[in-house]
Amino acid sequence: MRTFLVDDDFISVFLTEKLFQREGFGEGLHSFESPEKALDSVLHAISQESVPDVILLDLNMPVLNGWDFLSALQPYEAQLTGRCFIYILTSSLAPADQVRSEEFPLVIGFIHKPLDGIQVQAIHAYVAEHQG
Amino acid sequence: MLHLPKPGVVGRHINDFLPSHLIPLFKQKLLEAFEGKSVTFDVAVQFRGAVPKVLSVSKVPLIEDGTITGVHVVCRDISELTASHQLIAQQAHTLNTLFESITDAVFLMDNEWRITYLNSEVERLLKLKEEQILGKGYWEVFPETGSEVFYEHFVHAKRVGHAVKFEAYSIPREMWLEVKAYPSSEGLSVYFSDVTPRKETEARQERLAQDLYQHNQDLQEFNYLVSHNLRGPLANALGLARMLHPHGSEQEQVQEHLILSLQQLDGLLHELTTILSVRETHGVVGNRTVVPLGQVLAQVQHRVRESLCQSGGTLTVLMPDELTVYGTHTQLFNIFRNLLVNAIAYREPQRPLRVVVTGQAIPTGGVHVTVADNGSGFDRARAGADVFKLYKRFHAEPSGRGLGLYFVQAYVTALGGHITVQSQPGIGTEFSLYLP
Repeated sequence: MRTFLVDDDFISVFLTEKLFQREGFGEGLHSFESPEKALDSVLHAISQESVPDVILLDLNMPVLNGWDFLSALQPYEAQLTGRCFIYILTSSLAPADQVRSEEFPLVIGFIHKPLDGIQVQAIHAYVAEHQG
Repeated sequence: MLHLPKPGVVGRHINDFLPSHLIPLFKQKLLEAFEGKSVTFDVAVQFRGAVPKVLSVSKVPLIEDGTITGVHVVCRDISELTASHQLIAQQAHTLNTLFESITDAVFLMDNEWRITYLNSEVERLLKLKEEQILGKGYWEVFPETGSEVFYEHFVHAKRVGHAVKFEAYSIPREMWLEVKAYPSSEGLSVYFSDVTPRKETEARQERLAQDLYQHNQDLQEFNYLVSHNLRGPLANALGLARMLHPHGSEQEQVQEHLILSLQQLDGLLHELTTILSVRETHGVVGNRTVVPLGQVLAQVQHRVRESLCQSGGTLTVLMPDELTVYGTHTQLFNIFRNLLVNAIAYREPQRPLRVVVTGQAIPTGGVHVTVADNGSGFDRARAGADVFKLYKRFHAEPSGRGLGLYFVQAYVTALGGHITVQSQPGIGTEFSLYLP
Protein backbone atom coordinates (compact mmCIF):
# COMPACT_ATOMS: atom_id res chain seq x y z
CA MET A 1 0.00 0.00 0.00
CA ARG A 2 1.72 3.19 -1.22
CA THR A 3 0.67 5.98 1.09
CA PHE A 4 1.45 9.71 1.09
CA LEU A 5 1.12 11.34 4.49
CA VAL A 6 0.68 15.13 4.33
CA ASP A 7 0.98 16.60 7.81
CA ASP A 8 3.02 19.54 9.11
CA ASP A 9 2.94 18.30 12.73
CA PHE A 10 6.11 16.26 13.23
CA ILE A 11 4.82 14.43 16.32
CA SER A 12 1.71 13.38 14.46
CA VAL A 13 3.93 12.23 11.58
CA PHE A 14 6.08 10.24 14.00
CA LEU A 15 2.96 8.60 15.45
CA THR A 16 1.51 7.72 12.06
CA GLU A 17 4.84 6.31 10.87
CA LYS A 18 5.16 4.10 13.97
CA LEU A 19 1.60 2.84 13.55
CA PHE A 20 2.15 2.00 9.89
CA GLN A 21 5.35 0.14 10.81
CA ARG A 22 3.52 -1.84 13.48
CA GLU A 23 0.73 -2.77 11.12
CA GLY A 24 3.25 -3.82 8.48
CA PHE A 25 2.83 -0.96 6.01
CA GLY A 26 5.93 1.05 6.98
CA GLU A 27 7.67 0.43 3.68
CA GLY A 28 5.02 2.10 1.55
CA LEU A 29 4.63 5.27 3.62
CA HIS A 30 6.06 8.60 2.42
CA SER A 31 5.70 11.50 4.79
CA PHE A 32 5.58 15.14 3.73
CA GLU A 33 5.73 17.88 6.33
CA SER A 34 5.47 20.42 3.53
CA PRO A 35 2.11 20.29 1.73
CA GLU A 36 3.60 22.06 -1.31
CA LYS A 37 6.24 19.36 -1.75
CA ALA A 38 3.56 16.73 -1.29
CA LEU A 39 1.43 18.34 -4.00
CA ASP A 40 4.41 18.47 -6.37
CA SER A 41 5.04 14.77 -5.75
CA VAL A 42 1.38 13.86 -6.34
CA LEU A 43 1.27 15.88 -9.58
CA HIS A 44 4.50 14.24 -10.70
CA ALA A 45 3.08 10.81 -9.85
CA ILE A 46 -0.04 11.63 -11.90
CA SER A 47 2.13 12.51 -14.90
CA GLN A 48 4.02 9.23 -14.44
CA GLU A 49 0.73 7.35 -14.03
CA SER A 50 1.91 5.91 -10.73
CA VAL A 51 -0.39 7.59 -8.22
CA PRO A 52 -0.23 6.56 -4.54
CA ASP A 53 -2.97 4.25 -3.27
CA VAL A 54 -3.75 6.45 -0.29
CA ILE A 55 -3.25 10.08 0.71
CA LEU A 56 -3.66 10.92 4.39
CA LEU A 57 -4.27 14.66 4.44
CA ASP A 58 -4.15 17.00 7.41
CA LEU A 59 -6.37 20.08 7.17
CA ASN A 60 -4.78 22.67 9.39
CA MET A 61 -1.47 23.51 7.68
CA PRO A 62 0.26 26.80 6.91
CA VAL A 63 0.55 28.27 3.39
CA LEU A 64 -1.25 25.41 1.64
CA ASN A 65 -3.94 23.90 3.84
CA GLY A 66 -5.85 20.69 3.27
CA TRP A 67 -8.66 22.42 1.38
CA ASP A 68 -6.21 24.14 -0.96
CA PHE A 69 -4.56 20.81 -1.53
CA LEU A 70 -7.88 19.17 -2.45
CA SER A 71 -8.80 22.05 -4.75
CA ALA A 72 -5.48 21.72 -6.54
CA LEU A 73 -6.19 18.05 -7.18
CA GLN A 74 -9.72 18.58 -8.50
CA PRO A 75 -8.64 18.95 -12.17
CA TYR A 76 -7.09 15.45 -11.94
CA GLU A 77 -10.17 13.79 -10.53
CA ALA A 78 -10.49 11.44 -13.51
CA GLN A 79 -6.90 10.18 -13.14
CA LEU A 80 -7.30 9.69 -9.38
CA THR A 81 -10.81 8.27 -8.90
CA GLY A 82 -10.76 4.54 -8.09
CA ARG A 83 -6.96 4.53 -7.87
CA CYS A 84 -6.01 6.99 -5.20
CA PHE A 85 -8.11 7.28 -2.05
CA ILE A 86 -7.89 10.40 0.06
CA TYR A 87 -8.54 10.34 3.80
CA ILE A 88 -8.73 13.50 5.87
CA LEU A 89 -6.65 12.96 9.00
CA THR A 90 -7.28 15.86 11.33
CA SER A 91 -7.39 16.80 14.97
CA SER A 92 -10.30 19.12 14.18
CA LEU A 93 -13.55 18.51 15.99
CA ALA A 94 -15.50 21.12 14.04
CA PRO A 95 -18.55 19.46 12.45
CA ALA A 96 -18.29 22.02 9.63
CA ASP A 97 -14.99 20.48 8.49
CA GLN A 98 -16.53 17.06 8.00
CA VAL A 99 -19.47 18.58 6.10
CA ARG A 100 -17.11 20.52 3.86
CA SER A 101 -14.99 17.45 3.09
CA GLU A 102 -18.08 15.82 1.57
CA GLU A 103 -17.90 18.40 -1.21
CA PHE A 104 -14.81 16.63 -2.54
CA PRO A 105 -15.62 13.28 -4.20
CA LEU A 106 -11.98 12.20 -3.92
CA VAL A 107 -12.26 12.24 -0.12
CA ILE A 108 -13.58 8.87 0.97
CA GLY A 109 -12.99 9.09 4.71
CA PHE A 110 -12.69 11.52 7.62
CA ILE A 111 -10.50 10.36 10.49
CA HIS A 112 -10.18 12.23 13.79
CA LYS A 113 -6.71 12.03 15.27
CA PRO A 114 -5.22 10.08 16.88
CA LEU A 115 -5.01 7.39 14.25
CA ASP A 116 -4.92 3.84 15.58
CA GLY A 117 -3.99 0.39 14.28
CA ILE A 118 -7.58 -0.63 13.62
CA GLN A 119 -8.10 2.38 11.37
CA VAL A 120 -4.88 1.62 9.46
CA GLN A 121 -6.11 -1.93 8.82
CA ALA A 122 -9.52 -0.58 7.77
CA ILE A 123 -7.89 1.72 5.22
CA HIS A 124 -5.91 -1.19 3.83
CA ALA A 125 -9.01 -3.35 3.59
CA TYR A 126 -10.94 -0.60 1.78
CA VAL A 127 -8.17 -0.02 -0.76
CA ALA A 128 -7.80 -3.75 -1.41
CA GLU A 129 -11.52 -4.03 -2.03
CA HIS A 130 -12.11 -0.94 -4.15
CA GLN A 131 -9.00 -0.67 -6.23
CA GLY A 132 -9.49 -2.03 -9.76
CA MET B 1 -84.06 94.17 -1.27
CA LEU B 2 -87.10 94.53 0.89
CA HIS B 3 -88.72 91.65 -0.88
CA LEU B 4 -91.75 93.89 -1.69
CA PRO B 5 -93.19 95.50 -4.85
CA LYS B 6 -92.59 99.21 -5.39
CA PRO B 7 -96.17 100.34 -4.63
CA GLY B 8 -96.03 98.66 -1.25
CA VAL B 9 -92.89 100.64 -0.31
CA VAL B 10 -93.26 104.19 -1.56
CA GLY B 11 -94.77 106.52 0.95
CA ARG B 12 -94.20 104.33 3.96
CA HIS B 13 -91.87 104.88 6.92
CA ILE B 14 -88.58 102.98 6.99
CA ASN B 15 -89.44 101.67 10.45
CA ASP B 16 -92.28 99.68 8.90
CA PHE B 17 -89.73 97.42 7.27
CA LEU B 18 -86.90 97.23 9.81
CA PRO B 19 -86.80 94.53 12.46
CA SER B 20 -87.69 96.26 15.70
CA HIS B 21 -84.21 95.81 17.32
CA LEU B 22 -82.56 97.78 14.51
CA ILE B 23 -84.93 100.78 14.65
CA PRO B 24 -82.88 102.68 17.34
CA LEU B 25 -79.65 102.20 15.34
CA PHE B 26 -81.13 103.54 12.11
CA LYS B 27 -82.76 106.40 14.00
CA GLN B 28 -79.47 107.37 15.68
CA LYS B 29 -77.57 107.30 12.38
CA LEU B 30 -80.29 109.41 10.79
CA LEU B 31 -79.94 111.99 13.56
CA GLU B 32 -76.16 112.04 13.00
CA ALA B 33 -76.79 112.68 9.28
CA PHE B 34 -79.14 115.53 10.14
CA GLU B 35 -76.31 117.07 12.13
CA GLY B 36 -74.59 117.57 8.81
CA LYS B 37 -72.12 114.71 8.30
CA SER B 38 -72.26 111.65 6.11
CA VAL B 39 -72.39 108.36 7.98
CA THR B 40 -71.69 104.86 6.73
CA PHE B 41 -72.22 101.69 8.64
CA ASP B 42 -72.49 97.94 8.02
CA VAL B 43 -75.35 96.05 9.49
CA ALA B 44 -76.77 92.55 9.29
CA VAL B 45 -80.48 92.73 8.68
CA GLN B 46 -83.31 90.39 7.78
CA PHE B 47 -86.35 92.01 6.19
CA ARG B 48 -89.63 90.20 6.53
CA GLY B 49 -89.82 87.34 4.05
CA ALA B 50 -86.31 88.02 2.71
CA VAL B 51 -82.99 86.16 3.23
CA PRO B 52 -80.59 87.62 5.83
CA LYS B 53 -78.26 90.17 4.34
CA VAL B 54 -75.34 92.37 5.28
CA LEU B 55 -75.90 95.92 4.17
CA SER B 56 -73.57 98.83 3.86
CA VAL B 57 -75.70 101.83 4.61
CA SER B 58 -74.68 105.41 3.73
CA LYS B 59 -76.73 108.36 4.97
CA VAL B 60 -75.79 111.63 3.28
CA PRO B 61 -77.42 114.91 4.37
CA LEU B 62 -79.02 116.99 1.62
CA ILE B 63 -78.04 120.59 2.19
CA GLU B 64 -80.01 123.39 0.51
CA ASP B 65 -79.00 126.99 1.18
CA GLY B 66 -77.12 126.05 4.33
CA THR B 67 -79.96 124.08 5.88
CA ILE B 68 -80.41 120.35 5.95
CA THR B 69 -83.55 119.55 4.12
CA GLY B 70 -83.34 115.83 4.08
CA VAL B 71 -81.13 112.73 4.16
CA HIS B 72 -80.24 110.61 1.20
CA VAL B 73 -79.93 106.92 2.11
CA VAL B 74 -78.10 104.36 0.00
CA CYS B 75 -78.09 100.68 0.93
CA ARG B 76 -75.64 98.31 -0.70
CA ASP B 77 -75.93 94.57 -0.33
CA ILE B 78 -72.45 93.45 0.77
CA SER B 79 -73.53 89.99 1.94
CA GLU B 80 -71.29 88.08 -0.49
CA LEU B 81 -68.32 90.30 0.08
CA THR B 82 -68.70 89.92 3.83
CA ALA B 83 -69.11 86.16 3.53
CA SER B 84 -65.91 85.76 1.50
CA HIS B 85 -63.98 87.96 3.93
CA GLN B 86 -65.21 85.80 6.74
CA LEU B 87 -64.26 82.65 4.88
CA ILE B 88 -60.75 83.91 4.32
CA ALA B 89 -60.37 84.80 7.98
CA GLN B 90 -61.77 81.44 8.98
CA GLN B 91 -59.45 79.58 6.64
CA ALA B 92 -56.46 81.49 7.89
CA HIS B 93 -57.47 80.62 11.41
CA THR B 94 -57.99 76.97 10.52
CA LEU B 95 -54.62 76.83 8.79
CA ASN B 96 -52.95 78.42 11.77
CA THR B 97 -54.63 76.01 14.14
CA LEU B 98 -53.53 73.17 11.90
CA PHE B 99 -49.91 74.27 11.79
CA GLU B 100 -49.90 74.85 15.52
CA SER B 101 -51.42 71.44 16.19
CA ILE B 102 -48.71 69.71 14.16
CA THR B 103 -46.06 68.59 16.62
CA ASP B 104 -43.42 69.24 13.98
CA ALA B 105 -41.98 72.68 13.62
CA VAL B 106 -43.29 74.21 10.39
CA PHE B 107 -42.19 77.20 8.39
CA LEU B 108 -42.96 78.36 4.89
CA MET B 109 -40.52 80.08 2.58
CA ASP B 110 -41.39 81.97 -0.56
CA ASN B 111 -39.44 81.71 -3.81
CA GLU B 112 -37.00 84.36 -2.57
CA TRP B 113 -36.16 82.11 0.44
CA ARG B 114 -37.95 84.53 2.72
CA ILE B 115 -39.78 83.01 5.66
CA THR B 116 -43.47 83.90 5.42
CA TYR B 117 -44.92 81.73 8.13
CA LEU B 118 -43.85 79.75 11.17
CA ASN B 119 -45.52 77.95 14.03
CA SER B 120 -44.55 78.25 17.67
CA GLU B 121 -42.62 74.96 17.63
CA VAL B 122 -40.10 76.64 15.32
CA GLU B 123 -39.47 79.29 17.95
CA ARG B 124 -39.11 76.66 20.62
CA LEU B 125 -36.72 74.38 18.70
CA LEU B 126 -34.59 77.12 17.18
CA LYS B 127 -34.67 79.17 20.40
CA LEU B 128 -35.55 82.25 18.33
CA LYS B 129 -38.41 84.74 18.59
CA GLU B 130 -40.97 85.08 15.80
CA GLU B 131 -39.71 88.58 14.94
CA GLN B 132 -36.19 87.20 14.44
CA ILE B 133 -37.53 84.83 11.78
CA LEU B 134 -40.66 86.14 10.09
CA GLY B 135 -39.98 88.02 6.85
CA LYS B 136 -36.25 87.29 7.11
CA GLY B 137 -34.21 85.46 4.47
CA TYR B 138 -32.93 81.95 5.04
CA TRP B 139 -29.32 83.05 5.57
CA GLU B 140 -30.34 85.78 7.98
CA VAL B 141 -32.06 83.24 10.20
CA PHE B 142 -29.48 80.49 9.74
CA PRO B 143 -26.13 82.20 9.25
CA GLU B 144 -24.11 79.50 11.00
CA THR B 145 -21.91 76.81 9.39
CA GLY B 146 -23.73 73.61 8.67
CA SER B 147 -26.81 75.45 7.39
CA GLU B 148 -25.65 74.83 3.83
CA VAL B 149 -26.33 71.11 4.30
CA PHE B 150 -30.01 71.87 4.88
CA TYR B 151 -29.99 74.54 2.15
CA GLU B 152 -28.68 72.06 -0.44
CA HIS B 153 -31.53 69.67 0.31
CA PHE B 154 -34.05 72.53 -0.01
CA VAL B 155 -32.56 73.65 -3.33
CA HIS B 156 -32.70 70.09 -4.53
CA ALA B 157 -36.39 69.80 -3.54
CA LYS B 158 -37.18 72.99 -5.43
CA ARG B 159 -35.26 71.88 -8.50
CA VAL B 160 -36.74 68.39 -8.81
CA GLY B 161 -40.18 69.48 -7.63
CA HIS B 162 -40.47 66.53 -5.23
CA ALA B 163 -40.69 66.35 -1.48
CA VAL B 164 -37.40 65.55 0.25
CA LYS B 165 -36.84 63.93 3.61
CA PHE B 166 -33.50 63.88 5.38
CA GLU B 167 -31.79 63.85 8.74
CA ALA B 168 -29.00 66.25 9.51
CA TYR B 169 -27.13 67.50 12.52
CA SER B 170 -27.50 71.10 13.57
CA ILE B 171 -24.14 72.12 14.96
CA PRO B 172 -25.17 75.29 16.86
CA ARG B 173 -28.18 73.55 18.43
CA GLU B 174 -26.39 70.23 19.05
CA MET B 175 -29.44 68.51 17.75
CA TRP B 176 -30.35 65.89 15.17
CA LEU B 177 -33.19 67.14 13.00
CA GLU B 178 -35.48 65.14 10.79
CA VAL B 179 -36.57 67.43 7.98
CA LYS B 180 -39.27 67.13 5.34
CA ALA B 181 -39.59 69.81 2.68
CA TYR B 182 -42.44 70.08 0.22
CA PRO B 183 -41.93 72.36 -2.78
CA SER B 184 -44.81 74.26 -4.40
CA SER B 185 -45.15 77.06 -6.94
CA GLU B 186 -45.17 79.53 -4.04
CA GLY B 187 -42.06 78.28 -2.36
CA LEU B 188 -41.23 75.56 0.11
CA SER B 189 -42.92 74.27 3.25
CA VAL B 190 -40.48 72.84 5.74
CA TYR B 191 -41.40 70.48 8.57
CA PHE B 192 -38.81 69.45 11.10
CA SER B 193 -38.52 67.78 14.47
CA ASP B 194 -35.83 66.99 17.03
CA VAL B 195 -34.84 63.33 16.66
CA THR B 196 -31.75 63.50 18.88
CA PRO B 197 -33.03 60.94 21.43
CA ARG B 198 -33.82 58.46 18.66
CA LYS B 199 -30.46 59.02 16.99
CA GLU B 200 -28.71 58.48 20.31
CA THR B 201 -30.61 55.25 20.88
CA GLU B 202 -29.76 54.13 17.37
CA ALA B 203 -26.10 54.90 17.96
CA ARG B 204 -26.18 52.95 21.23
CA GLN B 205 -27.84 49.99 19.52
CA GLU B 206 -25.31 50.15 16.74
CA ARG B 207 -22.47 50.02 19.28
CA LEU B 208 -24.18 47.16 21.06
CA ALA B 209 -24.60 45.24 17.82
CA GLN B 210 -20.96 45.81 16.98
CA ASP B 211 -19.92 44.62 20.42
CA LEU B 212 -22.07 41.56 20.04
CA TYR B 213 -20.67 40.88 16.61
CA GLN B 214 -17.15 41.19 18.00
CA HIS B 215 -17.96 38.83 20.86
CA ASN B 216 -19.38 36.37 18.41
CA GLN B 217 -16.27 36.62 16.28
CA ASP B 218 -14.12 36.04 19.36
CA LEU B 219 -16.22 33.05 20.30
CA GLN B 220 -15.86 31.57 16.85
CA GLU B 221 -12.12 32.11 16.97
CA PHE B 222 -12.02 30.53 20.38
CA ASN B 223 -14.03 27.63 19.04
CA TYR B 224 -11.58 27.26 16.17
CA LEU B 225 -8.69 27.43 18.62
CA VAL B 226 -10.21 24.69 20.75
CA SER B 227 -11.22 22.39 17.92
CA HIS B 228 -7.97 22.74 15.96
CA ASN B 229 -5.01 24.08 17.89
CA LEU B 230 -5.81 22.68 21.33
CA ARG B 231 -6.99 19.34 20.05
CA GLY B 232 -3.89 18.69 17.93
CA PRO B 233 -1.37 18.17 20.75
CA LEU B 234 -3.92 16.30 22.80
CA ALA B 235 -4.62 13.87 19.96
CA ASN B 236 -0.88 13.32 19.64
CA ALA B 237 -0.51 12.70 23.37
CA LEU B 238 -3.36 10.21 23.32
CA GLY B 239 -1.87 8.38 20.34
CA LEU B 240 1.58 8.29 21.93
CA ALA B 241 0.23 7.07 25.27
CA ARG B 242 -1.49 4.18 23.54
CA MET B 243 1.74 3.28 21.81
CA LEU B 244 3.73 2.81 24.99
CA HIS B 245 4.89 -0.68 25.92
CA PRO B 246 4.79 -0.69 29.69
CA HIS B 247 6.89 -3.15 31.66
CA GLY B 248 5.40 -4.38 34.89
CA SER B 249 1.98 -3.87 36.43
CA GLU B 250 2.83 -0.47 37.92
CA GLN B 251 3.78 0.98 34.55
CA GLU B 252 0.72 -0.62 33.00
CA GLN B 253 -1.37 1.19 35.56
CA VAL B 254 0.46 4.43 34.80
CA GLN B 255 -0.30 4.03 31.11
CA GLU B 256 -3.92 3.18 31.84
CA HIS B 257 -4.38 6.27 33.97
CA LEU B 258 -2.52 8.44 31.51
CA ILE B 259 -4.80 7.31 28.70
CA LEU B 260 -7.88 7.77 30.88
CA SER B 261 -6.83 11.31 31.84
CA LEU B 262 -6.20 12.22 28.23
CA GLN B 263 -9.53 10.72 27.22
CA GLN B 264 -11.31 12.76 29.87
CA LEU B 265 -9.63 15.88 28.57
CA ASP B 266 -10.59 14.91 25.05
CA GLY B 267 -14.20 14.37 26.14
CA LEU B 268 -14.26 17.86 27.58
CA LEU B 269 -12.94 19.32 24.35
CA HIS B 270 -15.62 17.48 22.41
CA GLU B 271 -18.29 18.92 24.68
CA LEU B 272 -16.84 22.39 24.50
CA THR B 273 -16.83 22.28 20.71
CA THR B 274 -20.41 21.05 20.66
CA ILE B 275 -21.53 23.78 23.05
CA LEU B 276 -19.84 26.48 21.03
CA SER B 277 -21.21 25.21 17.75
CA VAL B 278 -24.83 24.77 18.86
CA ARG B 279 -25.76 28.25 17.75
CA GLU B 280 -23.33 28.35 14.88
CA THR B 281 -24.60 25.23 13.16
CA HIS B 282 -28.20 25.23 14.26
CA GLY B 283 -28.94 28.85 14.91
CA VAL B 284 -29.25 31.63 12.45
CA VAL B 285 -27.50 29.85 9.62
CA GLY B 286 -29.36 26.55 9.90
CA ASN B 287 -31.75 25.64 7.13
CA ARG B 288 -35.09 25.96 8.84
CA THR B 289 -38.16 24.29 7.52
CA VAL B 290 -41.61 23.42 8.75
CA VAL B 291 -41.04 20.30 10.85
CA PRO B 292 -43.93 18.04 11.90
CA LEU B 293 -43.55 17.66 15.66
CA GLY B 294 -45.28 14.28 15.82
CA GLN B 295 -42.73 12.86 13.40
CA VAL B 296 -39.84 14.14 15.53
CA LEU B 297 -41.32 12.56 18.65
CA ALA B 298 -41.87 9.25 16.89
CA GLN B 299 -38.17 9.20 15.98
CA VAL B 300 -37.11 10.16 19.50
CA GLN B 301 -39.39 7.43 20.87
CA HIS B 302 -37.73 4.96 18.52
CA ARG B 303 -34.29 6.07 19.68
CA VAL B 304 -35.01 5.69 23.40
CA ARG B 305 -37.33 2.66 23.15
CA GLU B 306 -34.69 0.24 24.46
CA SER B 307 -33.83 2.11 27.62
CA LEU B 308 -37.50 2.96 28.12
CA CYS B 309 -38.40 -0.69 27.79
CA GLN B 310 -35.65 -1.78 30.21
CA SER B 311 -36.88 0.65 32.83
CA GLY B 312 -40.46 -0.60 32.36
CA GLY B 313 -41.63 2.88 31.50
CA THR B 314 -44.20 4.15 29.05
CA LEU B 315 -44.32 7.22 26.87
CA THR B 316 -47.61 8.77 25.81
CA VAL B 317 -47.68 11.43 23.12
CA LEU B 318 -50.82 13.55 22.90
CA MET B 319 -50.72 16.05 20.07
CA PRO B 320 -52.50 16.70 16.80
CA ASP B 321 -50.78 15.20 13.74
CA GLU B 322 -50.74 18.53 11.93
CA LEU B 323 -48.74 20.27 14.66
CA THR B 324 -45.57 21.81 13.16
CA VAL B 325 -42.65 23.93 14.32
CA TYR B 326 -40.42 26.16 12.21
CA GLY B 327 -36.88 24.98 12.86
CA THR B 328 -34.44 22.25 11.98
CA HIS B 329 -35.12 18.59 12.52
CA THR B 330 -31.81 18.18 14.39
CA GLN B 331 -32.64 20.91 16.88
CA LEU B 332 -36.05 19.48 17.70
CA PHE B 333 -34.78 15.92 17.84
CA ASN B 334 -32.05 16.92 20.30
CA ILE B 335 -34.46 18.87 22.51
CA PHE B 336 -36.84 15.95 22.99
CA ARG B 337 -34.15 13.27 23.09
CA ASN B 338 -32.40 15.09 25.93
CA LEU B 339 -35.64 15.57 27.85
CA LEU B 340 -36.61 11.90 27.48
CA VAL B 341 -33.13 10.62 28.31
CA ASN B 342 -33.31 12.74 31.47
CA ALA B 343 -36.76 11.42 32.36
CA ILE B 344 -35.50 7.84 32.03
CA ALA B 345 -32.25 8.51 33.93
CA TYR B 346 -33.98 10.24 36.83
CA ARG B 347 -37.00 7.98 37.18
CA GLU B 348 -38.32 7.03 40.60
CA PRO B 349 -37.24 3.40 41.23
CA GLN B 350 -40.32 2.74 43.42
CA ARG B 351 -42.80 3.00 40.53
CA PRO B 352 -42.90 2.47 36.76
CA LEU B 353 -42.00 5.57 34.77
CA ARG B 354 -44.82 7.43 33.00
CA VAL B 355 -43.90 10.19 30.59
CA VAL B 356 -46.63 12.25 28.93
CA VAL B 357 -45.86 14.65 26.09
CA THR B 358 -48.62 17.03 25.03
CA GLY B 359 -48.61 19.56 22.28
CA GLN B 360 -51.06 22.13 21.03
CA ALA B 361 -51.05 25.13 18.74
CA ILE B 362 -51.39 28.54 20.39
CA PRO B 363 -54.09 30.61 18.63
CA THR B 364 -51.82 33.66 18.57
CA GLY B 365 -49.01 31.67 16.93
CA GLY B 366 -46.46 29.10 18.02
CA VAL B 367 -46.75 25.81 19.79
CA HIS B 368 -46.96 24.89 23.46
CA VAL B 369 -45.44 21.55 24.43
CA THR B 370 -45.24 19.92 27.85
CA VAL B 371 -43.08 16.97 28.85
CA ALA B 372 -44.19 15.59 32.22
CA ASP B 373 -42.88 12.59 34.16
CA ASN B 374 -43.56 10.92 37.49
CA GLY B 375 -39.84 10.57 38.22
CA SER B 376 -37.73 11.49 41.22
CA GLY B 377 -37.92 15.22 40.53
CA PHE B 378 -35.70 17.81 42.19
CA ASP B 379 -35.97 20.76 44.51
CA ARG B 380 -37.03 23.44 42.03
CA ALA B 381 -36.65 26.28 44.52
CA ARG B 382 -33.12 25.26 45.44
CA ALA B 383 -32.07 24.84 41.81
CA GLY B 384 -33.25 28.37 41.07
CA ALA B 385 -31.91 29.90 37.91
CA ASP B 386 -29.23 27.19 37.58
CA VAL B 387 -31.50 24.55 36.05
CA PHE B 388 -30.43 25.18 32.49
CA LYS B 389 -26.87 26.19 33.25
CA LEU B 390 -23.78 24.43 32.02
CA TYR B 391 -22.30 21.74 34.26
CA LYS B 392 -25.03 22.10 36.88
CA ARG B 393 -26.35 18.87 38.29
CA PHE B 394 -29.21 18.18 40.64
CA HIS B 395 -28.84 14.47 41.22
CA ALA B 396 -25.95 12.64 42.83
CA GLU B 397 -26.89 9.43 41.02
CA PRO B 398 -26.74 8.37 38.28
CA SER B 399 -23.79 10.30 36.98
CA GLY B 400 -24.41 12.92 34.35
CA ARG B 401 -22.27 15.69 33.01
CA GLY B 402 -24.74 18.51 33.53
CA LEU B 403 -25.01 19.18 29.84
CA GLY B 404 -28.44 17.85 28.82
CA LEU B 405 -30.63 20.73 29.95
CA TYR B 406 -28.03 23.24 28.87
CA PHE B 407 -28.31 21.88 25.34
CA VAL B 408 -32.10 21.78 25.53
CA GLN B 409 -32.23 25.42 26.44
CA ALA B 410 -29.60 26.39 23.89
CA TYR B 411 -31.58 24.67 21.14
CA VAL B 412 -34.91 26.13 22.28
CA THR B 413 -33.37 29.60 22.40
CA ALA B 414 -31.81 29.13 18.98
CA LEU B 415 -35.31 28.31 17.69
CA GLY B 416 -36.58 31.56 19.18
CA GLY B 417 -38.60 29.84 21.91
CA HIS B 418 -38.33 29.50 25.67
CA ILE B 419 -38.56 26.77 28.27
CA THR B 420 -39.59 26.59 31.92
CA VAL B 421 -39.65 23.73 34.40
CA GLN B 422 -41.60 22.74 37.48
CA SER B 423 -40.50 19.90 39.72
CA GLN B 424 -41.16 18.36 43.09
CA PRO B 425 -38.88 15.80 44.75
CA GLY B 426 -40.45 12.34 44.70
CA ILE B 427 -43.39 13.43 42.55
CA GLY B 428 -42.10 14.38 39.13
CA THR B 429 -40.97 17.03 36.71
CA GLU B 430 -42.79 18.98 34.03
CA PHE B 431 -41.11 20.96 31.28
CA SER B 432 -43.13 23.55 29.46
CA LEU B 433 -41.85 24.69 26.08
CA TYR B 434 -42.97 27.49 23.85
CA LEU B 435 -41.78 27.09 20.26
CA PRO B 436 -42.50 29.65 17.55
